[in-house]
Amino acid sequence: MMKRNGTGWLFASPYLLYAVLFFAIPLIWSMYLSFTDWNLISPVYYFKGFDNFIEAVKHPGVQAAFFVTFKFMAAFVPMVIVSSLAVALVIHGLPKFKGLFLIGFFLPYLASGVVSSLIVKGLLSHNSAFNVFLRKFGIEIDWLSTPLSALLVVAAIIAWKFTGYYALILTAGFESINKDVYEAAAIDGVTPSQSFWKITLPLLYPAIFTVLILSIGVSFGIFTEVYQLTGGGPNYATNTWQMEIFKQAFTNLSAGYASAVAIIASVVTFASILVIRKLLEMWGKRNGWV
Amino acid sequence: MKMKKVASLFLTATIAASALAGCSTGNGGGKSADGKTTIEFWAAPNPTQQVYWKEMAEEFEKENPKIDVKVSPIKESPTSEASIQSAIAGKSAPTMSENINRGFAAQLAESKALVPLNEIEGWDKLLKNRNMTDTVKTWKFADDNQYVMPIYSNPMLFGWRIDILKEVGVNEIPKTYSEVLDAVNKLKDKHPDKYLWAKGDLADPTAWKRWFDFFMLYDAASGGNNFIEGDKFVAEDEAGLNVLKFMGDLQKEDALLTKQATDPFESGLGIFTDLGPWTFSYWEEKFPEMKYNETFGLALPPVPDGADTENVNTFADTKGIVIYASATEEERKAAMEFMNFVYSNPENDLKWLETTKLPPARDDLSSNDSFKAFFDKNPELKPYADAVPNAIPSIDNAKYNELQTHIGRYAVNPVVKGEVDPEKGWKEMKKAIKEELKK
Repeated sequence: MMKRNGTGWLFASPYLLYAVLFFAIPLIWSMYLSFTDWNLISPVYYFKGFDNFIEAVKHPGVQAAFFVTFKFMAAFVPMVIVSSLAVALVIHGLPKFKGLFLIGFFLPYLASGVVSSLIVKGLLSHNSAFNVFLRKFGIEIDWLSTPLSALLVVAAIIAWKFTGYYALILTAGFESINKDVYEAAAIDGVTPSQSFWKITLPLLYPAIFTVLILSIGVSFGIFTEVYQLTGGGPNYATNTWQMEIFKQAFTNLSAGYASAVAIIASVVTFASILVIRKLLEMWGKRNGWV
Repeated sequence: MKMKKVASLFLTATIAASALAGCSTGNGGGKSADGKTTIEFWAAPNPTQQVYWKEMAEEFEKENPKIDVKVSPIKESPTSEASIQSAIAGKSAPTMSENINRGFAAQLAESKALVPLNEIEGWDKLLKNRNMTDTVKTWKFADDNQYVMPIYSNPMLFGWRIDILKEVGVNEIPKTYSEVLDAVNKLKDKHPDKYLWAKGDLADPTAWKRWFDFFMLYDAASGGNNFIEGDKFVAEDEAGLNVLKFMGDLQKEDALLTKQATDPFESGLGIFTDLGPWTFSYWEEKFPEMKYNETFGLALPPVPDGADTENVNTFADTKGIVIYASATEEERKAAMEFMNFVYSNPENDLKWLETTKLPPARDDLSSNDSFKAFFDKNPELKPYADAVPNAIPSIDNAKYNELQTHIGRYAVNPVVKGEVDPEKGWKEMKKAIKEELKK
């Protein structure tokens, strides 16, 4: 028994070591920092108690980050669920080369956020062919300087990036549904619409649930696209938690304050995902899907 | 059983120690057993500056066999400032590094991470040999120390599309606000779809962006008056208001495009833009049609009506070398010797100028014969050299990021978008800056 335990610990030790080095120690260190005014380089620093936390909750950048995350979620999650579901449905229906198409859709996930953001920036610039075309019809949109459109543009880029990845999960979900169920339903005279709502969706729910939780998690970690495209603006309209933490830690050199913001962000993220997960479980149970 | 526990603990500790050792980048500097002093020099990550500094290090080592200079690029993950900050925090800072602006130096100096260069023997000799006594005066920090050895002082100028100006009937580059507004009216009459200044950054509150709009105009309007002195807001209200009113007037005339546009100046969408000398190498490659005194001209910033139009100040985009406080006495001495070697010979500054096109921070740049041939060959860079004595470096407050963000957020950004009037913008900006300085 002891030997079995020892072997288990040995195999688990690389991950445990990794977790201690890169999660536990930084977390404890960050908690310590959050109670100080240290900038990491000054030889002198002072303990501030909960001042950093109090200052943070009053700061417009932090308040914006809180609301912007939920706004992103409201835009990004439906976008990515609908697009990945559509891609998965199309691929699932293909007679051949499913793998090849899945790889094709997965590629944006591997693309650099910096590169895709720069391409989008060029596409949406005032004198781009796209905007010149729109102006011919009297449509003039300041894409990245208008709060709503800036938020939607960032959400759309991230949705494009994650669609292939989530389609992969959903396609696996589709493939796991036993075809006999559809055949039995067809004998009973079920319409295609009924088949989707009464068979496909409930049986696909575990995969959809996974994708929902993953995409909600993504909403709390947006940085590269915002950093490249809007810098958190206009007027904090796209200021995410990561953006605020970056600005405070690396631009204003306020590591203590940034740690407090990071801890607030972690608590908000954890609590939000927990609540949303419970709600989704309740929804699934009420409909008899889980 | 006990032995097993001890052995596994030992094993875990060894793995952890090895992993942590792997994370360290090490300082790399210091004095070795053979009496050699090694200094680590972090240079800007662009290839041209890397080549320049490696060449300088090799030449220096030939004459100073007791000193090794290890040149490596500053990592930019995610930014060079963040890399330096991490290196200092991780006790692996180099002996010295370049590419440091005055604002960042102020942040580092406040944290006692930099050595006052004026306290190291050889500093006065360096100033004299490089002929930079006047230039360096504006670099003095609020505590009377010099923390940065300015490598280049790049007075920012405004580029004008003189071909378009001529086409609309303006034959001289406008020098005052009224002349600019007059040119705008003529431009809009003929080309309603063109703008004076097409620059998305005008509406962006990011701190450094104010160097290339507000500070250029403010330095010109105020005659180079300070904006912040130590922890005090000392900006000249009249000059600041004039700048904002000018921006407001341009906005009313539909002369500003604050949306992001691709190459607006080169495409002629805008006819006025802030220009640094680094642009010309890029243009040679990508926009060969941009010819100095044919398609574009260069000028100091426009000034309020009635102000002196000859001796105009502008913002200086400047960066320099710092020595970190973690360096030992030997390393500091060696670093100063290295700087003295590089800057005692104007040929090295010429080499810098040829490589980077950035004007060396010298008092004699436009009068020293060593540079004459270069400027004859590159006439578009001559106005930059001429403006060096009138160039004002960035503010030296450790909170420069927050302060400059307030200039954008409360004043420049809303004024160029027509959301607040200049008086209100200036008042709110002042209030926010004063509150920030009190913190």
